[in-house]
Amino acid sequence: MLDLDGVSKTFNPQTANEVRALQNVHLGIDDGSFVVVIGTNGSGKSTLLNAVAGTFFVDRGAIRIAGRDVTRWPEHRRAALIGRVFQNPFSGTAPQMTIAENLALATRRGLARGLGWALAPSFRTEMRERVRRLGMGLEERLDNVIGSLSGGQRQALTLLMATWRRPELLLLDEHTAALDPKSAEQVVRLSEEAIARDRLTTLMVTHSMHQATALGDRLVMMHRGRVLHDLHGAEKQRLRPADLLARFEEVRRAEQLDESAAAMLERQYV
Amino acid sequence: MTLLLGAWTIGLILSLLALGVFISFRVFHFPDITADGSITLGAATAAVLIAGGVPPLLATLAGFLAGLVAGALTGVLHTKFGINGLLAGILVMTALYSVNLRIMGRSNLPLVGADTLMAEAENLGARALGGAASFHLGSWEIYGRDLFALLLTFLLVAVVGAGLYAFLRTNLGTAMRATGDNDQMIRALGVNVGNMIILGLAISNGLIAMAGALLAQYQGFADVQMGIGMVVWGLASVIIGEALVGSTQLGLVIAGAAMGSVLFRLLVAIALRAGLNPNDLKLITAVFVFAALVLPALLARLSRAEVRDA
Repeated sequence: MLDLDGVSKTFNPQTANEVRALQNVHLGIDDGSFVVVIGTNGSGKSTLLNAVAGTFFVDRGAIRIAGRDVTRWPEHRRAALIGRVFQNPFSGTAPQMTIAENLALATRRGLARGLGWALAPSFRTEMRERVRRLGMGLEERLDNVIGSLSGGQRQALTLLMATWRRPELLLLDEHTAALDPKSAEQVVRLSEEAIARDRLTTLMVTHSMHQATALGDRLVMMHRGRVLHDLHGAEKQRLRPADLLARFEEVRRAEQLDESAAAMLERQYV
Repeated sequence: MTLLLGAWTIGLILSLLALGVFISFRVFHFPDITADGSITLGAATAAVLIAGGVPPLLATLAGFLAGLVAGALTGVLHTKFGINGLLAGILVMTALYSVNLRIMGRSNLPLVGADTLMAEAENLGARALGGAASFHLGSWEIYGRDLFALLLTFLLVAVVGAGLYAFLRTNLGTAMRATGDNDQMIRALGVNVGNMIILGLAISNGLIAMAGALLAQYQGFADVQMGIGMVVWGLASVIIGEALVGSTQLGLVIAGAAMGSVLFRLLVAIALRAGLNPNDLKLITAVFVFAALVLPALLARLSRAEVRDA
């Protein structure tokens, strides 16, 4: 479904701020698989998602989605295949437009937009029905502007918009990190429901150890722009937050060792 | 009365300018200065065609199309060549000055005696009044020419405003509004943001050029200088309109921009009659827009300070 073939990306190359955000990443994701990506700050996990979404072009390697080589496709073209929920609840919706108008925009994700009415009356019934399933009472407020909603409500709507037309690939970029615990829980539940209902191939980045162990059928741990661990099946199912913490600790120790070794070398040779 | 009807008519004509400025400044948050050039472009195009015998409605439409091209050009400079939006507008506006001179062949093109929309309104008025030039309404003497020029302009503006309202509610128009509201979101929904900006600026400048085409026909000439300061004028109208309707609902906002333009023109007519030096008009318009931009934030800060002190 999704294939990353030797993907590399360096930001600010050949400057003091050079960041090798992705280094020769190979990753293949099966149809219907729900992959959780975890990693420390700056590990490249969000960069990975943005590379797939087309926020920038990669320096090397190829990206294929549903059999199509999208490596040189601009972001808006890839959107025909991808549904996305951002970390920032403000990013996924148009705040000055109504809930109904936002949903109408989502129904034509990746399709040509012509001179037909955006809000056909017949469409309202379906809209009402699908918004009701969010369980937030928003079906009575379809003509309110998005700007009047809470972060959790916006994120739930963004999720609904991203999955309104079944995407080949769903990208969730720490989509509950900016929410209060109760809203976060609600959005996670809605995500699980949507993914299970439509058997969506999903790539989710998270900071939460709990989410990383409780959700998905595969876990990818990234570090310094590389895939460090890749856990499937039973191994993933057995994983507990404590195990994950231990793996992070391992990384930290190795890092410290590297740093003290570097410091020693520096003392001796510089 | 002639003065009042005249102010109304010009206000309505310039409400097309206000609608254009509404699209660029409010929908896209794009400070598009092209308007100063495109309003003259519309006037020049229509004036030359009318002087050459083209039917005035067609000439007005040609003015609209010319503005469409100018706006699209600014959009292309900005989105495809990565030029800062303000600078892209300035470049096209500057270039248009020469283009307008080329189109007209001189700096001022009179339309006296030519078959303009306003001349047709005058004929219509004369026929409706059975040959009389004016009639009395109470103590007011109303000229058929003034009245029908106003009615014709109102009709045109109503059609264009309704058309714009309808367009902004289609799938394409809704995507256009979303582009200005949250470009990251609309990109993720598969819309090419650059193309949307080009199309939006084209429509914006098309409307503005149409205002120029009508204005030239109303005042009876096109002048290469007539566009100076028009962006600020349009912005003032939009701001007044927003204050008038106090709503973000699309239909009301569009009606508000037209109403703001008429009200602003009326205020200016009254001020001029009261003895305001016409040379000071641009300064006053600029100061007005400055105040309208700064006051809301200032008032909010003052009221916050009061709450804190209380």
